[in-house]
Formats: sequence, structure tokens, C-alpha cells
Amino acid sequence: MVKKECNPLHIDYKKCIIEDKLLQVKHSLNNNVPDLTTVWTIEIDPRDSKKVIDFIRSTQDKDPISLQHIKRIKKTEDLKRLKVVIISTTYIGKEADVIDLLNATNIKYELLSNETQIPLIGPSTKELVNQWSKDYWPLTWNGNPNDQILNDYVFDMEFIKKILTTISNISEKELTKGNKYPIVSAFVDPLNKDLITIAVDERNIKDGCSLDHSIICGIKSIAKLQREMLTNDKMNMTSYLCLNYDIYTTHEPCSMCSMALVHSRIKRCIFVRPMQMTGALLPDSGDGYSMHNNKILNSQYEVFEWLGNEFDNIPILCNNICC
Amino acid sequence: MTLPDNENDNNVASHKMYMGWAIKLAKYALDHGETPVACIFVHYKSKQIVAYGMNDTNNSLTGIAHAEFMAIEQIKSRFPNDPIGFNQFCSDCIVYVTVEPCIMCASALKQLNFKKIYFGCGNDRFGGNGTVLSINQDKSTVNYNGVVYKQKSIPGLYRREAIMLLRYFYVKENKRSPNPRIKLDRNLDKDNFPQINWSHYMNNNLFGQEFGLHNLSHFQTMDDIEEFSTIDWNLIDSTYDNILNDLQLETKHFKLNEYKRLKV
Repeated sequence: MVKKECNPLHIDYKKCIIEDKLLQVKHSLNNNVPDLTTVWTIEIDPRDSKKVIDFIRSTQDKDPISLQHIKRIKKTEDLKRLKVVIISTTYIGKEADVIDLLNATNIKYELLSNETQIPLIGPSTKELVNQWSKDYWPLTWNGNPNDQILNDYVFDMEFIKKILTTISNISEKELTKGNKYPIVSAFVDPLNKDLITIAVDERNIKDGCSLDHSIICGIKSIAKLQREMLTNDKMNMTSYLCLNYDIYTTHEPCSMCSMALVHSRIKRCIFVRPMQMTGALLPDSGDGYSMHNNKILNSQYEVFEWLGNEFDNIPILCNNICC
Repeated sequence: MTLPDNENDNNVASHKMYMGWAIKLAKYALDHGETPVACIFVHYKSKQIVAYGMNDTNNSLTGIAHAEFMAIEQIKSRFPNDPIGFNQFCSDCIVYVTVEPCIMCASALKQLNFKKIYFGCGNDRFGGNGTVLSINQDKSTVNYNGVVYKQKSIPGLYRREAIMLLRYFYVKENKRSPNPRIKLDRNLDKDNFPQINWSHYMNNNLFGQEFGLHNLSHFQTMDDIEEFSTIDWNLIDSTYDNILNDLQLETKHFKLNEYKRLKV
């Protein structure tokens, strides 16, 4: 993690664009409604606040939920006592364990409760800080949390350009060969960046079928590779599905393929051409699924759209094709 | 000869037969270490079973080898080098699957234009036919000809049995975990079943058409229809060692050419 000002990449934090080329694709809906998490609170005498602050200092690094974006202490309604957020219920769930932890200190407390809900992460604007502070619990403003997410991404721009050049050239050739579905994807193994699996849409080949989209074909060929390695006993034990793979694809994936990538546990997908009607990643494509960012699903992945015009040789497809 | 082409000529008795096959196959999957989800494809006009599938994710090392994809592969092998024949055939098939298709499978079934989907219980984590998303009713998932359309998908056939098989699976998993729970039977709930909010999947009209007017009250009360209100323990507690053979025989009966000749 580098400091924002030391990041060698040029990042436009407002527009969420990296190096003027890669647009971070997020679910734009529900940005004004926070995800909530519950915390343990106690009430104390103001004179005990120093002890409580020491306690918070000693636990905050162990808590899996960061509470940096909230104020820990607020006055009770009668203004005589203080209500304090001590730890998240994710960190310690059982009341008895919390009591044990508190008893190990000499804090005098009352009304231990796990009924307070706070936003899981801070809001993107200062205006929302005021709103959420009123609605949930007092918050502090440390800037847009997405800035840190953007700053923490790792990009090898040269590598990305090289791969996109490869798949765009194959895509162009497929069209001239008469393939009505010149859609191409590249799968990059996180453990070995030289191991690149290229997959071409096979709907148009002789024994293909309507579901043989490039991403499905790629997932199947990686599984085949892994099965072969397993039988040859060369299997790397850390290989599991397409865990942490980066996928590069010429056209925005459809609902089937974007969900297949969720099932395959990939890390990142970069695509070039949006599919306005059938795409399932951009918030304004198709039904606005943003499949990579759906919190109900058990895993998520990063998505970026390439904005530069370097790969304009990728054929534009009919609107009503699922990719 | 033409068979009646009435959408509503399916009665609950025939649903029971087809979904019964799928439940048995799911039990077989459970007994062989796979997730207990399975499906049966039925050729609509001849009413014959033409394909079947069960989860194969562990064995195949892919996250996408779901029951529906395995059955689709079987259909594909009937049409070597004939993608158009394959597509047309899928349009003539009805899917019976024990658990609501996940979003990926829902999209695959929609792109292949399957005639109708019947399922047992909803899929709270991934369901693509009404629980998490409604791919079958959406505008962005088009069929292989690029046509936007709505596909019917109906839940509730052997719903409790499908839920029980999943519960058996999770209890089994606990046994393998490093810290197995001691009183397993305590965790295996055999008496309580969640309600089903039918309106997530279909409207009142379709419900009446599918399950008959005598069942209409269940749409509001969100419980199982009469024919599936008592759990068939015998169905899910038996073992089905021969089911793969039996299903192979069933699907072999179906010869597309013969059927085509009949139609002429």
C-alpha cells in the first residue's frame, strides 16, 4: 500500500479512471444507503473515558471490522453519561466473551448491548456523513473510501496493453475468417503470468453450441489443464478453479458468463467493448446487474472498462448478442 | 398424429413422476459425495425423458459443472455437428430441477430457449429464476436468435424433499469438519420448512393455471400446494444405486427420428 501522493499511476479519483484508460466499474445503485454491521456498546461515566480509550487502542487492530470511520463515543440522551462503541460483533459474537474481555480491564460499565448498527464503510461524500450520522451513529469524514480502494489496485499497464493487443488482433482475424461471434478472452494465472489461456467463442464452429461463449470455453479449458496436471501428479496444490485469475475480454460478458466468473472466483475482469443491451457488468448495460458487485452473491471481482481507442480494431457486434 | 399442444395439460401427477426422478438422482448425488442437486429434461410433445444431470463440480474441477450444464451436454451429444438441430430440440424440452437454477444456469436455459422450467426449492444464495435475480423474465438475456422473451419458471414440486436433501448434505459436511458437532440430529430439522413467497416467481393467474383452483389459497398463505404438503420420506431416504442405468434406459427410448416420423 503506497500513499496516494506516491502512487506512480495517474489516478482520477473523481471519475475513477486509472492512467486515463481504465474505468473502475461499480454498482452505481444504492450508493446512498449503507451496508450495516452491528457493534457492542456500553455506557460509562465520563470520568472513565481514558480507560475506555486505552481499551479501544488495545483492541482496534484485532477487530476485523475497521471502525476508523465512526466516532467511538457519544453522549447519552440525558447528557450525563457516554455511550461507547467498543468492538464489532464480527470480532466477538458471544456476550459472555465480551463480558470476560471487559472484566479483564477495570472499566465500570452498564448496559452492554449489541443493538447498535453502524455503516460498514464510510460514505462517498461529506453531505452523506451528516445524513448517516443522524440516521445511524456519528461518523467522521476521512475522504471517499473508494479513493483508498483505487489507490490500492495494482496495475501493470504494459502487460495489460500487450494482452489486449493480442486478443483484439485475434478478434479481428476471427471476423475476417467469417466468425459471426469474434469474441476473445484471455485468462492469466496469478501464479504464473506467462501461462496465458486464450479462448475464442465457439458458437460458430462445427461442433459448437449456443452456450460456447469465449469465457465458458476458457473456464473449461483451464479445468481440463488442471485435470491433466492432476493425473500427471504435477498439480500445484494452490490451484483451485480460476481463483485470483485476471480475465481480459473483448466484449462485455452476458449474465451467464459474468456469473460463471463469480463461480470461478476470479480476481479481475477487464473488457473493451460495452454490450449495451446484453452486458451484465456496467450499471447502465442491460438490466444493470453489475454481477461482479452483487453483495448477495458469495464472491465478487474487480471490473474495469478500457476507455482508450487503441483497440478499435475489435469488431462491433449486433446489440442483441450475449457475449 | 398430433398431441394436444395445451400448456396446461400437465397435471400434478406427471410433475410428480418427472420431479421424482430428479429427486432420486439428487439423492444418488448426495450418497456419492456431490451436492444433492439434479435435473431431468423432458421432451415436451413425446413426454419422454431425454437427458439428466447432477452436479459434477468436485469431479470436473470447474465451478460451472452444474446439473443443468451436464444435461445440456447430453442433449448436445445427440446432435453432433448440428447446432441448429440442437437449438431447436432445446426449445421443445421442459426442465425439472430439484433446486432453482443459479444465475448462470438460468441464463444458459434462457439462451437455449427451453420451453419451461419446474423446480423444487428456491436457491437463496444464487437463484436466477426469481430469488436473487429473475433472469427468466429479464430483457438482457436473449435467446440464441437474439430475441428478448419471458420464460416461465415454476417452483414448489417436491420442495420439502429438495430442502431436506440439502439439509442432509450440510449435516454430512459437519461430520467431515475438524470439529464435528456432537448431537447431529439436533441440528437436522425435519419438522420446519420456510414459507414460499410464490409471488417472487409467478402471479396468481399462472399459479391457478399450473396447480388448479383448489390450491389458490396457498398462493396467499405462502405454503406448499396440497399435493406436496406432506413430505415423502420414503422418496428421499431410499438409496438409488441403479438410477444411472435406469435413466440411461429411459433416455435411450427416445429416438428423435421415430418421433419425427410419427409427426408426419
